Amino acid sequence: MQWLDGFIQGILLGGLYAQYALGMALMFGVMRIVNISHGDLMILLALIGVSLVASLHVGPFVLVLLLVPIAAAIGYVLQRAVLNRVVSQDPLPSIIATFGLSIALQNAMQQIWSADTRSIPGGGIEQASWQIGPIFIGVLPVIVLVVATVLTGGLDALLRYTRFGRALRASAADVEAAALTGINPKAVYAWATAISVGILGFAALFQGLRSTVAPSDGPAQLIYAFEAVIIGGMGSIWGAFLGSMVLGVSQAIGFRINPGFGILAGHLVFLCVLIVRPQGIFGRS
Amino acid sequence: MTGFESTVRAQVRSQTKSGIAAMIIGIALLVALVAMPWWASQGTIRSVVELCCYIAIAQMWNLLAGYGGLVSVGQQAFSGVAAYAMFALAQNLGINPFFAVPLCLIAPVLLAVPTYGLLHRLDGPYFAIGTWVVAEVMRLLTSNFSYVNAGAGMSLRVMTQYSAHERAIGVSILCALMLLITVGGTYWLLRSRYGLALTAMRDNPVSAASQGVNVSRLRFLLFIAGAAGTGLAGAIYFMAQLRITPEAAYGPQWATVAIFIVMIGGLGSIEGVLVGSIIYFFADRWFGEYGATYLIVLGILTLIVALFARQGIWGLMSKVVDAPWFPTRRVLVSGESR
Repeated sequence: MQWLDGFIQGILLGGLYAQYALGMALMFGVMRIVNISHGDLMILLALIGVSLVASLHVGPFVLVLLLVPIAAAIGYVLQRAVLNRVVSQDPLPSIIATFGLSIALQNAMQQIWSADTRSIPGGGIEQASWQIGPIFIGVLPVIVLVVATVLTGGLDALLRYTRFGRALRASAADVEAAALTGINPKAVYAWATAISVGILGFAALFQGLRSTVAPSDGPAQLIYAFEAVIIGGMGSIWGAFLGSMVLGVSQAIGFRINPGFGILAGHLVFLCVLIVRPQGIFGRS
Repeated sequence: MTGFESTVRAQVRSQTKSGIAAMIIGIALLVALVAMPWWASQGTIRSVVELCCYIAIAQMWNLLAGYGGLVSVGQQAFSGVAAYAMFALAQNLGINPFFAVPLCLIAPVLLAVPTYGLLHRLDGPYFAIGTWVVAEVMRLLTSNFSYVNAGAGMSLRVMTQYSAHERAIGVSILCALMLLITVGGTYWLLRSRYGLALTAMRDNPVSAASQGVNVSRLRFLLFIAGAAGTGLAGAIYFMAQLRITPEAAYGPQWATVAIFIVMIGGLGSIEGVLVGSIIYFFADRWFGEYGATYLIVLGILTLIVALFARQGIWGLMSKVVDAPWFPTRRVLVSGESR
């Protein structure tokens, strides 16, 4: 029974990871831009959330309405000011630029919010749970999973069926050819990064509600998102969702084997996927 | 007159006056480094050892990123595993710690082979984060491994059998050897036949491959060499510290230091690493007390260099004065037929 419990809790944890991974699947998998500060941006948004709750006394539902536009604006500016300058075949400039940004962000957050761990108060929702037989299922984790599923479906549909999605995929495939057909790749990329970071607004709220955030937590979240994208298969939005589930279940089962083994189990499953199926579950070889 | 039958003696010059001067200064500095226990205070020795380790780690990162196109943010996996292997050999198995330093390099090499095998399928950015995962795996494994005292870390108590002076002699010699291998070795490599292949690969891997350079094999060898060199720096650094913990050994600050030094100094040149190391060393001494603020500035500087000045300070300097310390270019001085 504890394995079934581990599996269910893992799927629920995967819902949270999916919210980090979706934005990365869009930037990494589709646009082929690497953003090392992805996790730090999520932490930044969560800390902004903590401060907004403290000063405006708003509940989680109002907070998410504030956080997502802030997140999208940050993403838009990031792409316009930094990433559009380093988009090229050579990955080095974008890795280095966002690595520098990551270091600066982590330390700036430490200056502003101190190194303490904080969380966003949810008004009781974080403790609520349903009991099914011997297994407790938290209300909040289920909400997180539902939101993740809706976001995944929405993002996938956006890429597949809209004008914007086609323009983005065309720009990612060949910038110059896309520009010839009247697309402005830089503007398209800026909106795509706005969406990618905007999703982190949801992730930040739920991370803050479900557990705690500290300024130095970003790199770990970056690695989880990255692993989910690779496990699922590059360029596939539903792949990133599935990859998040695989990662969440691996960690949850690992924790039940030995508390020191949880995070490690996730990394080991990731490495196994690299050995067995380097293109990922949904990837085309 | 031109004629294909006339004797053509092409002469290629690859050494310059500035290069000869730099080599003499370099040898003098190495001698001063070895002689350090007789002229420097304990504090100075500790600082110089730290500087040498930065130079070595940055040089290895430069070799990978600058020439191999292999951007890694997880080189701490290799410095950490080598340092831990050295501690285990010396403390747990009773091998002389100074001999344990070269011996422990087996560990990073053994780790680098499967790491490369797994990660070389990932291109560019994915490779970078993949190396970070490997470093995290090593940190977590070490934290759970009771043979090396798990998360609590180890102290190199066997070093108490030597006096402070004897330790300083040993560490100074090791530092000099490390610089000779990492900086001197890179210089030698770039001036050798392989240097042409590496430079071609740095400038354009696809066209290098079309010229007969075996890019994938060369990258593999660079990765292994980079792991061993980084491991050597890690072993010496923690030998000087006398203490190691998983957090310190596998911390991302190693990658930060290497990336900062190489990017600020200048990617793809030996001089850039030296300039960057000296800047980082003094910045750390003077501004380190400002803690987080200092790191914010460091991060933003790295960002600005990546955006606007990819060649770093050495690149800017070479535009003004062309006086390389480690000349690796070949200049055709007389190739006309007569």
